[in-house]
Amino acid sequence: MGVPYVPVIGLVGTDLLKRRDDMVLAPDPFDGKTVSVVARAMRPDVAVFHVDKADRQGNVSCGYPVEAVILAEASRHVIVTAEEIVDRLDEKDATGTFVPSILVDAVVHAPFGSHPAGMTGRYAPDKAHMKEYVAASRDDAAFAEYLKRYVFDVGSHAEYVERFVPREWQRPLTEVIR
Amino acid sequence: MTVAGDTIVNLGYGEAELMAILMAREVRDGEVSACGALSQIPATGLLLAKEMHAPNAELIILNTVFRPFHTSRQFHFLAQRGELGLFFVSGVQIDGFGNYNLHQIGADPERPEVRFPGGYGGGMIYYCAQRTVVFRTEHTRRSLVERVDFISAAGSSPANVLRLGNPSKLITPKANFRFDKDAARLRLDTIHPTYTLEEIRENTGFDLGVTGPAAATPAPTAEELHALRSVVRPKMIATGTYAAWAERSIGSG
Repeated sequence: MGVPYVPVIGLVGTDLLKRRDDMVLAPDPFDGKTVSVVARAMRPDVAVFHVDKADRQGNVSCGYPVEAVILAEASRHVIVTAEEIVDRLDEKDATGTFVPSILVDAVVHAPFGSHPAGMTGRYAPDKAHMKEYVAASRDDAAFAEYLKRYVFDVGSHAEYVERFVPREWQRPLTEVIR
Repeated sequence: MTVAGDTIVNLGYGEAELMAILMAREVRDGEVSACGALSQIPATGLLLAKEMHAPNAELIILNTVFRPFHTSRQFHFLAQRGELGLFFVSGVQIDGFGNYNLHQIGADPERPEVRFPGGYGGGMIYYCAQRTVVFRTEHTRRSLVERVDFISAAGSSPANVLRLGNPSKLITPKANFRFDKDAARLRLDTIHPTYTLEEIRENTGFDLGVTGPAAATPAPTAEELHALRSVVRPKMIATGTYAAWAERSIGSG
């Protein structure tokens, strides 16, 4: 949107509001009386999101309907990771939400990039891994151990896929899609 | 079947069926009524209302075939325009002030005992829908409390705050409460069959706000149960609307 702030209907009286320094109460500038929350616009430096397909110019087919355009518009830089890179992708080829290349800075080929979460139309969440993640999130030490094993001690995305994505999922992509 | 004291009383309907029927009664014909994702009982209630008294109700059941929109933004904007008549929502805790908690449990907000995924847009929808019916499938003192540990959505707000709608009712397997906007309190409205005022008081963590005896909730009618089991259940199964749940929780007609 590119505006500095927006009014929000609601949230007054919640504990959520107490924890936000980017939201304040302000009167309606037209009637001078009615009060509502006003939220400072979010302007992320970088947005990173995972999609179904992208082309080399940065046109993106998300694979399902999702609020990706507003996220891309709000962010100064946009990095898209994609299950599949294709030569050319038009809006009419898109499944779900289409993001035009003018909003995208970089595209990265990252098959199974949603793992251990699922990817609509491609693969379901990895339930065993998710269980491990939830257990690890119980305390800081266990979570540090999780991060070491699955993030910091992994050299590359290819190595991650090789080691941690279930073997039976790693068929040729065409088979996975069908 | 319901356990009342030591005796098992067969009422001829289950708890989920009862709650769906009570929710259906809240739907008004011609209005837009909605429920969120993971809302089996309200979804059933919405579909039942359409078969009963509200054939022209417009339904939004998020994440099912009964949704006119692709993205959440369209739903939120509809609510902000004041076009959402009725919304159903649940909370882990609900308090006597009509606040609900979907965030965390524990006395110290910085060190909660349990954290939940959060309230999504609840803190905003609660202000926008004309009426919100809060529901809870567990009617106990741990779920219906005097004050919630964390306010995810506020039951009332100062008079000068922009608000389009208010809580309307709380529905549990044991009773209906109505929201008294002037007092900003939930008050016991009617008690479901077989329960007593004493049982409601024992299982509710906030003051019931009543002095005399409370009215009885009209029991599900034969027509309601018939439509629920013979029309709504097959429709839910055929459309993949909580199909497995419907098979399990609604009697076959």
